[in-house]
Amino acid sequence: MKFRRIFFTLIITLFISPAITQQVFAGEQNDVKSELKELRKMMENMQQRIDELEEKNEALEKQAKEKEETIVVEEETDLTVIETPATERQGFLQKALNTFNPEISVIGIFAAAWYSQDDPIVFAEVDPENTGVNVQEIEIGFQGVIDSYFRFDTFLVFGVEGVELEEAYGTTLFSLPLNSQIRAGRMRAKFGRINQIHRHNQNFVTLPLPAAQFLGEHLNPTSIEANFLVPVPWYMELSALGGSPDVETPTFDRDENANNLARLLYIFHLANFVEVSEALGVSLGGSFATGVNNTGRDERSNMYGIDLFAKYRPLENNPYQEVMLQSEFMYLDADTPEENLENWGWYAQLVYRFAKRWNTGFRYGIIDTNTPVQEEAGDIDGDPAGLFTLIRNEEGEEEEGMLGLFGRTYRLSPMLTFNPSEFSRLRVQYDYLNQDFTENQHAIFLQFQYSLGAHGAHPF
Amino acid sequence: MKHQFSLKNFVLCMTLALASIIFTGQSVLAQVNIVTSVTDYAAIAKEIGGDRVEVTSLAKGYQDPHFVDAKPIFITRLNKADMLIYNGLDLEIGWLPILITGARNSDIASPSAIGHYNASVSIKDFLDVHTTPIDRSMGDIHPGGNPHFMLNPGNGIPVARGIAARLIRIDPENAAFYEDNFKNFVSALKLKISEWETELAPFKGTEVVTYHKLWSYFLDWAGFKNAGTIEPKPGIPPSPSHTADLMRNMERDNVRLIMAANYYPTKTASIIARKTGATFLSLPVMIEGRDGIDSYIELFDALVGEITSALKNTKSSNQNAAEFNGG
Repeated sequence: MKFRRIFFTLIITLFISPAITQQVFAGEQNDVKSELKELRKMMENMQQRIDELEEKNEALEKQAKEKEETIVVEEETDLTVIETPATERQGFLQKALNTFNPEISVIGIFAAAWYSQDDPIVFAEVDPENTGVNVQEIEIGFQGVIDSYFRFDTFLVFGVEGVELEEAYGTTLFSLPLNSQIRAGRMRAKFGRINQIHRHNQNFVTLPLPAAQFLGEHLNPTSIEANFLVPVPWYMELSALGGSPDVETPTFDRDENANNLARLLYIFHLANFVEVSEALGVSLGGSFATGVNNTGRDERSNMYGIDLFAKYRPLENNPYQEVMLQSEFMYLDADTPEENLENWGWYAQLVYRFAKRWNTGFRYGIIDTNTPVQEEAGDIDGDPAGLFTLIRNEEGEEEEGMLGLFGRTYRLSPMLTFNPSEFSRLRVQYDYLNQDFTENQHAIFLQFQYSLGAHGAHPF
Repeated sequence: MKHQFSLKNFVLCMTLALASIIFTGQSVLAQVNIVTSVTDYAAIAKEIGGDRVEVTSLAKGYQDPHFVDAKPIFITRLNKADMLIYNGLDLEIGWLPILITGARNSDIASPSAIGHYNASVSIKDFLDVHTTPIDRSMGDIHPGGNPHFMLNPGNGIPVARGIAARLIRIDPENAAFYEDNFKNFVSALKLKISEWETELAPFKGTEVVTYHKLWSYFLDWAGFKNAGTIEPKPGIPPSPSHTADLMRNMERDNVRLIMAANYYPTKTASIIARKTGATFLSLPVMIEGRDGIDSYIELFDALVGEITSALKNTKSSNQNAAEFNGG
């Protein structure tokens, strides 16, 4: 019986216990499950919390950033900030350069020359004098702004014949009625184009024939000049000048005894510039000058000029190539006690800049007359019926003073220029001079030029 | 009678309306006339001034700003200008001063005039400033510092601020309009600057050869290094001996990129690129420097885009070459 009980117990244990264990384990599983659930819930909660916090943090950060940004933007976008002038931030060197000193420049032009004859025919004062190495000119410039109303530009020229005040003039900087600008002092007059261009900016060693013959080295009267910008769609400037030609020119002279405004020199110029395309610009001008020539009382010279300049320079692809055509025609009608002189001349020059530092060109120049004077006219002490009064300065000065022409003269000049930099230049040129009343003349020049000091502006 | 009277009134009303149209028409037409030396300032001024300003640039974007012809027509334009904006630091020294003198316009003539805005005044730090004695044997140098500061896009912000501040002084009626436009310009530009900087970041330290020393600000900003210039000295055209030296250095330092403004001659740079295997980029350096570049942002989009894609190509071709060699 006892065994039976044990057996049953065993059976029960064996069969039931798994059920019990099953039951027990199932309970445990349930516990784990719920725990997991709880955990999950907690984790979810925590995640939510983290998300919330993150969101909060992000918002805060964003706020802070925005604040920062607005501060930066406010700083950067503050339109009331007063600009510090650049000069205050510059070093000692710049300060020294930027004080109220004028801009100073020194430009030296020299030429080694060879002429085919002994006493060469030279037309302009600054052209090389004779075979050998010549000083053409040393130009010293002082330029600057005087006050808020004027600027002042002075150029002294040291040449073989001493010092000359080439230019010294004030220019108005303020707005005036009729868009006008006044220049007063001594200046290269606005007659044609070449007369306004300093030697160191010219394209050839020698001055074009008509300019040398009719204007002298340059026509630079001490005068007052008004320039009006005419309101048209293109550029048009009308200039009127009145003054005293107190530097010798063959064409005009100062009448020292006359107390008469009519005996002053008056020059008018009309300049036009048209931009045909962005690469091509053309300027066309007309000039008129009238004044006494002192060959006799009330004898006047009237001179007319036409000037043309065209520059072709494509802006894209070939940035340093350009072609320039320049031509001027001058006609002089001069009264003398003996007869009316009618002289004329023109020149044309073509310059091709084929590389940044290289250019080459060719010029043709001619002067001629309808009223040739006799060779003897040069002999002052000769024949009393002669034309000696045509020579303005009876003091025995050279031929440059001659108003009359013996005949036709033309000159051919090919040229090649190398500019090592903007501040130095080497130029070779050949001049063939043909005069129908005397021998032909050949000349070869090697010109060298140096510029020191202020960076000059490049006139168009 | 009554009818006639009302007709009179009608005519009166019409006249008043017409007058008001004419007057408002005038106030619309009364734009601020701005003339700039180069296109960068013209485009920025237009963005700030909108339809309240009329802007013209004297030089073209594809033109070397050092060598602009002082055409007389520019005098006519400056004569009518209410405001002149120019770069400064002697960039325009060869042509702008005579134009300003000829312009006979008090509004822009003096550096103290409200209408006379020298953009370099707004820039804090200049590069290539010479603190030691200088002379012209060193080439065509700018004593006050390198003038090409607009090639760092960050410098567009102070310049735009300067332009906006001047515009507000010249035309206070439209102050709010200018300020809004200016702020929009700045926020758009800042967004783009960080984009460009991310694009350029992988290439920090890249060594590049340039034609002229006009890239200093760009290289400084991009974190590039200048490994030499094709010009032996600023403004002096390339010489055979200098070119040979440069190529030797490029091969030694493995320089993969040559950059030049698109107004410089491309011949020497192309030859160097071919012989050294480097990539040569002839790039616009100012707005309107090429078709399709009409704003400051478009300019840098083009610059950064072309430079990074060129660098990616050279990098991958290098890798290919390395793999090929290794294989």
